Amino acid sequence: MKVAKEKWMIIIAGLVIGVIASALVLLGNPKNMGFCIACFIRDTAGALGLHSAKGVMYLRPEIIGIILGSFLLSLAKKEFSPRGGSSPMTRLVLGFFAMIGCLMFLGCPFRMILRLAGGDLNAILGLVGFAAGIGCGVLYLKRGYSLKRTYRLPVSEGSAMPAIAVVLLILLLAVPSLLKFTAATEENPNPGPGLLHAATWISLLAGLIVGGLAQRTRLCMVGGIRDAILFKEFKLLLGFVAIFAAALAANLVFTAAFSGTYFTLGFEAQPVAHMDGVWNALGMLLVGFACVLLGGCPLRQLVLAGEGNTDSALTVVGLLLGAAFAHNFGLASSGAGPTDNGKIAVIIGIIVVTAIGEFNIRSGKAKG
Amino acid sequence: MIYIATFFSHFGAMHCKKLCDRAGLPAKMMPVPRKLSSSCGTCVRVEAQDAEQIPRTEESEQIALEEEDGYQILWSNL
Repeated sequence: MKVAKEKWMIIIAGLVIGVIASALVLLGNPKNMGFCIACFIRDTAGALGLHSAKGVMYLRPEIIGIILGSFLLSLAKKEFSPRGGSSPMTRLVLGFFAMIGCLMFLGCPFRMILRLAGGDLNAILGLVGFAAGIGCGVLYLKRGYSLKRTYRLPVSEGSAMPAIAVVLLILLLAVPSLLKFTAATEENPNPGPGLLHAATWISLLAGLIVGGLAQRTRLCMVGGIRDAILFKEFKLLLGFVAIFAAALAANLVFTAAFSGTYFTLGFEAQPVAHMDGVWNALGMLLVGFACVLLGGCPLRQLVLAGEGNTDSALTVVGLLLGAAFAHNFGLASSGAGPTDNGKIAVIIGIIVVTAIGEFNIRSGKAKG
Repeated sequence: MIYIATFFSHFGAMHCKKLCDRAGLPAKMMPVPRKLSSSCGTCVRVEAQDAEQIPRTEESEQIALEEEDGYQILWSNL
C-alpha cells in the first residue's frame, strides 16, 4: 500500500513536471529545453562572465528555483540536513566531466527526455549511451566503489548554496546590469538559446515547483535506470516515463492549438542538437557513468544541494566550471556537430571517471 | 523484527549484507524507503531478534525498526 502510494506520487510528479517543461517552451524557453540543468548552468556561467560565448548567457531562474524549492520543502518537512565531507574534490571533478559529456550531447538527462518528447530521434542514441554509462557505474558499485562517509555540518555550511541562490536572484531582479545577457543584433538576430526564455517569475515558479516535487519524490534520471539494473526496482524509472509521456502529449496539444511547432519527428534540423550519433552516445555515456559515481543526475545534485548537502553543492560548482571550460576551450558541441576538442575532452573524461572508479574501490571492515 | 540499516554508500550496504549472510540473518538489499529518508541510496532490510545483532560497518549510517506506520530510528552514526 505504502509502495503503491509512493509510485503514484512519482508518476503524478513526473506528469506535472513534463507539462511544466513543455509549457516553459510555449512561454519562451528554447525548443525541447523547457528544462535542461546542464544548459541552464551553462547559461548562468555565461551570465556571470565565466565564459564569453555570447549566445548562451542568461541567469536562468529555473536553477535558482529548483535549489530554493528543495530548500524550502526540506525545511518544512524537517528534512533539511547539512552534511558533507564525502570526497568533495573527487565529486567536483566528476561534476566537471559530467558537464563535458552533457555539452557534447547538448543536454542533461532531463533534456534528453524532453528532446525525445519533442520528436528528436538523436536523443535515442544519447539514451543508449546514457544507459551504457549507468551500466559502467553499476559495475563499479558492485565491485565496492565508495566515496566514503558524509559528516554532519553546521547549518551555516549547509545553507551556503541556498544563500547563493538567493543572492543570484537578487542580482537578477535588482541589478541585472551586473550580469551578461545574450542580445540580438541587426547582423545576428538569432544569436543563440540564451536569448530565449520565459518571463523571470514564470521560470522561477516553475523551478520552485519542480525542485519541491523532485525533493519529495527523489526523482532522479540516473537513479531510475540504476535501481532497475541493481534491484529490478522500477519506481524511479516511472517518473522518467511520466515526464516523457506528459511532455509528448503537451507538445502535440500545443502544436495543434498554437501557431508554433513543438513536435517534429526525425533526426534532421532538431533544435539545439546535432546528428553525430556516436558522439551523442559517448557524451551521454560519460554523463551516466559520472553520475552513478556521484549518486545522482544533475537535477538530483541541485535538489540535494538545496537540502543542505555540501558535497552536491560542490558537484554543482564542478558542473559550473565544466560549462565555463567547455565554452572557453571549444569543447561544447553546436548544431553543426561536435568539435575535435570536445571529442578529446570526452575521451579524457571517460578515462578520468574510470580512474576515479578504480581508485575508490574499498575493502570493508566491521566496526568494533 | 524487521530492521532497515542505511549506509553512506552502496558499498556499505553490500558489506553489511555479506556480514548478515555470514551470521545467518535473512537480509536483502533494496533502495532506502522514502518514508525513512530523503536520500536515495541502498539499504539492507534485515530480519533479526535484536538490533544489536545487525552488523555495523565503517559506512553504517542508521538502523531503524520497521513499524506498521513508519520507522523508529534506533541508532545513528551521523
